[in-house]
Amino acid sequence: MLQQPDATRDAQDVDRVLAAVIVNRVRSINREMNDALMRSARSALIAIARDFSGGILTAEGSLLSVANSLPGHMLGSGRQARSLLEHHPDLREGDAFLHNDPYEGGTHAADVVVMVPVFVDGAHRFTVAVLAHQADIGNSVPSTYMPAARDVYNEGALIFTATQIQRGYEDIDDVIRMCRKRIRVPDQWYGDYLAQVGAARLAERRLKELCAKYGVDTVLRHLAWWTGYGESMMADAIRRLPAGVAECDVWHDPLDPVLPDGFRVRARVEVDPAAAMVRVDLTDNGDCLDCGLNLSETTSRIGAVQGVLNCIPERVPINEGSFRRIEVELRDGSAVGRPTFPHSCSVSTTNLLCRLTIAVHGAFAKLGDGHGLAQSGLGMSAAWGVIAGQDPRFGRPYVNQLFTGFAGGPATPHADGWVNSGATGGHAMLLRDSVEVLESKYPIHVDAVRIVPGSGGAGRFRGAPGEEVILGPRFAPMDLAVMADGQVNPPAGVHGGHAGVPGATYLLSDGGERPLPGVIQTVIQPGERVRSIDNGGGGYGPPHERDPERVLQDVLRGFETVERARSVYGVALVGFVADETLAVDVEETRRLRGTGEDDQ
Amino acid sequence: MTEAHHMHAPNDANAAYRISVDTGGTFTDAVVAHGPDIVAVGKAPTTPARLADGFRAAVERAAQQLDLELGELLAQTDRLVFGTTHAVNALVQRRTAKTALLVTEGFADILLFREGGRPDDLLFEYNVEYPDPYIPRGRTFEVAERVNAEGVVERALDDDDVAGTLRNLRERGIEAVAVSLLWSVLNPAHELRIGELIRQELPGVPYTLSHELLRIVREYRRASAAAIDASLKPLVQRSLADLAGDLRGWGYSGSILVGTSAGGCVPIEQAAERPVHLLKSGPAMAPVAGRTFVREEELGRDVIVCDTGGTTFDVGLIRDDEIVFTRDTWFGPVGIGELVATSSVDVRSIGAGGGSIAEVDAGGLLHVGPRSAGSDPGPACYGRGGVEPTVTDAAAVLGYLQPDHFLGGRMTLDVERAREAVTTIADRLGTTVTDAAQGILTLANEAMIDAITELTLNVGLDPRENVLVAGGGAAGLNIVPIAREMGIGRVLVPRAAGALSACGMQVADIAFEQSSSLIMRSGAFDRAAVNGVLDGLEAELDAFAREARGQGATWTKEFRCEAHYAGQVWDVDFRLPGDRIDDDQALEMVVEAFHGAHRRLFSFSDRENDVEFVNWIGRVSGRLPASANGRAGATAAAPEPAVVRPAWFDGVETRTPVYEDAALEPGAVVQGPAIVAGPTSTLVLDPDSAAVVTAADNFLVTVATGG
Repeated sequence: MLQQPDATRDAQDVDRVLAAVIVNRVRSINREMNDALMRSARSALIAIARDFSGGILTAEGSLLSVANSLPGHMLGSGRQARSLLEHHPDLREGDAFLHNDPYEGGTHAADVVVMVPVFVDGAHRFTVAVLAHQADIGNSVPSTYMPAARDVYNEGALIFTATQIQRGYEDIDDVIRMCRKRIRVPDQWYGDYLAQVGAARLAERRLKELCAKYGVDTVLRHLAWWTGYGESMMADAIRRLPAGVAECDVWHDPLDPVLPDGFRVRARVEVDPAAAMVRVDLTDNGDCLDCGLNLSETTSRIGAVQGVLNCIPERVPINEGSFRRIEVELRDGSAVGRPTFPHSCSVSTTNLLCRLTIAVHGAFAKLGDGHGLAQSGLGMSAAWGVIAGQDPRFGRPYVNQLFTGFAGGPATPHADGWVNSGATGGHAMLLRDSVEVLESKYPIHVDAVRIVPGSGGAGRFRGAPGEEVILGPRFAPMDLAVMADGQVNPPAGVHGGHAGVPGATYLLSDGGERPLPGVIQTVIQPGERVRSIDNGGGGYGPPHERDPERVLQDVLRGFETVERARSVYGVALVGFVADETLAVDVEETRRLRGTGEDDQ
Repeated sequence: MTEAHHMHAPNDANAAYRISVDTGGTFTDAVVAHGPDIVAVGKAPTTPARLADGFRAAVERAAQQLDLELGELLAQTDRLVFGTTHAVNALVQRRTAKTALLVTEGFADILLFREGGRPDDLLFEYNVEYPDPYIPRGRTFEVAERVNAEGVVERALDDDDVAGTLRNLRERGIEAVAVSLLWSVLNPAHELRIGELIRQELPGVPYTLSHELLRIVREYRRASAAAIDASLKPLVQRSLADLAGDLRGWGYSGSILVGTSAGGCVPIEQAAERPVHLLKSGPAMAPVAGRTFVREEELGRDVIVCDTGGTTFDVGLIRDDEIVFTRDTWFGPVGIGELVATSSVDVRSIGAGGGSIAEVDAGGLLHVGPRSAGSDPGPACYGRGGVEPTVTDAAAVLGYLQPDHFLGGRMTLDVERAREAVTTIADRLGTTVTDAAQGILTLANEAMIDAITELTLNVGLDPRENVLVAGGGAAGLNIVPIAREMGIGRVLVPRAAGALSACGMQVADIAFEQSSSLIMRSGAFDRAAVNGVLDGLEAELDAFAREARGQGATWTKEFRCEAHYAGQVWDVDFRLPGDRIDDDQALEMVVEAFHGAHRRLFSFSDRENDVEFVNWIGRVSGRLPASANGRAGATAAAPEPAVVRPAWFDGVETRTPVYEDAALEPGAVVQGPAIVAGPTSTLVLDPDSAAVVTAADNFLVTVATGG
């Protein structure tokens, strides 16, 4: 029997079985709310790709549950809940609010949160937060990511700082009218809004039922126990890590004209098992940029916290309590820290956030072979581009973010990288577009979605392979916005592991193919195609230490080639894939690995 | 449940019997019903090499209880329903056919990618490997063709190209083919043509076309279902055809139905065409039976139904008197296993049962399951050559089983062999044999408790508010400690507990569902076209009902629709208020029914928007009279134990009365410690529990839950 965490030992007035019931029921309400949003939304990025999250908080803003969500989305919700209390001290039952202010706890403008205060016996006891990445938020160009935005005015997004949208369970039409005039494809926006507020109301009803059954004080007491349990589990996990301090720098790709040399992200990680704390110091990072890449305070914290959680080798509960054991130091006016208004944070949930997360992975890896992770694929390729235009089939405009192909996950000290990883911020929680659903909703044609052989960073454990996607518009010109990273600086391996393949974007036109820059806002003509390559993840440890049987399996999977098995891994294969006779030549492999050289 | 009390042939010699047979991993159960009564239950070991032998033996044993020969019983039977766990066993153990998958060019990794995502509980877990696709990449072939989102062919199929691929499959000895092309659900021409080419180039090789199996948009779901279906066909079709032939040979001429994952049954010919619907053939029936028993006992509307066989432990739920269904059945972990998106009873299975093998690993840790000794060789105590210790052996060592009267005396147990097998564990652990046996049972309980937790606590249902129905031959061995651990005070163990799924088949509706795609908006609604679709569906339902000839069945038809607001992508299923849509008022009612269903699910409706109707569904079900009946007028008598034997509870050797279950009349109360030995199952009552025989003749066990 493992040692019981402190919270379990010291808890008074806590019925352990009831605690399990209440915690799981709150998580179940959370899942039911998320499911309702996904199944009733209109835009594919919510209804298919699941680019949304739901959280349940105490009235004071302590995060209780983030089931089945992107944790990054919800780490700032506490701050937003407090911002709500500050701006609306007179909350009433039946109210609902919009919140997406990156300067008051939001991630970026496109992640709009619907917040509903839940009243039990006349008192505000919970706040439900439903965040969904909007298909459009009124930016000056048809994309919810605007790397070129000089400032928030140039970005042009609608900003809601705890803006009231319902009173007495009815819409406040003034706000709806404003949104309908400023957001592209207003019917799709309104349908998504209805789905968001509907999901929040569903959770409100379920929370009231839960409190009616057990009593609101009992429910809150047991949930408080759960928060303490999270903290002590996290503390125990940190006590089992080696003590140490390490620093890691990673570089975002160059971006014309604002970042001709790219941008360095530095994370300094201190693991302090004695105090059961991990401290992430981000103060040595550059100033805010005159573009949309700046992280908001929330996304800076997210990058640090999720980087740490990824490197904790055991399972810990995720709640406000577990976050208390991770201290993040930020600097005012930094692009990776606390931004200064009016800098734009339009792209704060992806590019620098991914770089920050993998910098933390890299710092952990410096604690020794067996710790940390290789670097993840960066994502945000054209396969995740934002498309917009007119759909002549229905005579109406469209705008949506694609989730057609995913970057490869990083190799770990014990396992190969995860296929379907995507950008690190999404934690591989995002779902893939269904090609059929995409083609029915938007006037595009998808030619291929497939693995690129030989693209995963080689290593004792291999990064997941990258992917290729080919797509284009069917009838009319299509706007395409892409802000890819990882095309110049691909995800690196650690401890002798190789880098994953760099990403790339190509335009296929008139039988030819030409490369496009990583960050583009362009128009694709009917008949043209965009070919997108997503990163493979970085490898962990020297490739010659990889089990030859794993190399054979990789070739059979189409992840690796016979040629690379030999030249990179030192594994000789005989026979053929086509007649299922492929096998390891043990003698030749021994010879290659004994005398041959790793060619990289 | 023995001949003396329960098994009496009906007076009317011409009366028709109904037989249900559930072929499990370890035992085959046969239940014979007549009118509303279950009149015989037979149980025999499953015979994996030739299923029909176990099937026949189980039915023969039931026939003997009615003083009939097999042929006589079958001649007087007009309906036979059976279930098989063979499809799921083949899938889980990957003993499936060598299967090829044909997909549209550009999408050969479709089964690798699945729908993306990552299980919630793996959120920050990077040290977990991503699983391989169901069909290896090397057996997945791209076909140069393309249909667009309007169903128009953009790239025509090249027959020669496909034929070349198929000849390659023949050379490689491919045994089954799945075909899943983009947009085949709108225009199936290319899939149909490939079907023809398969018949030409690979005669006799079974195949599945995705649009025929699952008429939904979303390519991965169709590809996954088609791949699994095709891979199961050779094995399932062979065994079903053999069984039908055997039944005819034994003198049976009535209808043969097979239980489906949806908790209904379909004619055997249709079942063979769609083995994917048989994946929960047996298990889906346990909740059907559990609901019937609990309704009859009036024990409540929230029920956990457990079915413990020799190989697996299955849990299903009844919530507010409705069987819980799912359209997302994952075999393996959610999101990264294999998805079967057909509608089915939500039953979770784990590899734990009487045959689960106990072993001690290199580090000295005791494990129980998921490996199973099955029925051949079976547990060591069966004396059929098994030497590895199983849960059944542990129960035998603890004195819970009756060595000379196992399965109602049809089998004797060799307790010495069980003891020898368990001794190997005890030696490794450095404990006594009885402590090792107790440890094996406790560990088996833990796995089962986890499975119940996943279905209840993990979705926020408090198991303590439920009644537990325990069925399956091995259920009674440890249901009391499981209930105690979960805080469940009431457990219903039906008399026919040993054959719970087979009982479910006796009360399951004969059900048939057909759907048809016709996309229609409420703002531009073509009533004639929709009514034409409904006419076609109704004709298919009527034909099914004529064919099924359910005796005394009350047939009902209903029409349903899957629809969404224009622009949404997931459908809401709702019942049409009428059979046809004849005027604007009728359409108005349909639209209202959709708004209502949408509001109930998602807490809002959107009256500004058009409703888009996608799939039209007809469902016919034949409800039969209930088959479980109590013994009216029986009086309570102080039960006398047949024998008093030593058994171990909590490490203490205890003199334990053993009751013949046939001797226990309604009203009888048995206080633990005690053992109730029946012909198909054994109920072990720990010292803190008691059982009362209910008026409906089942055992209601009360367990002290410590509050």
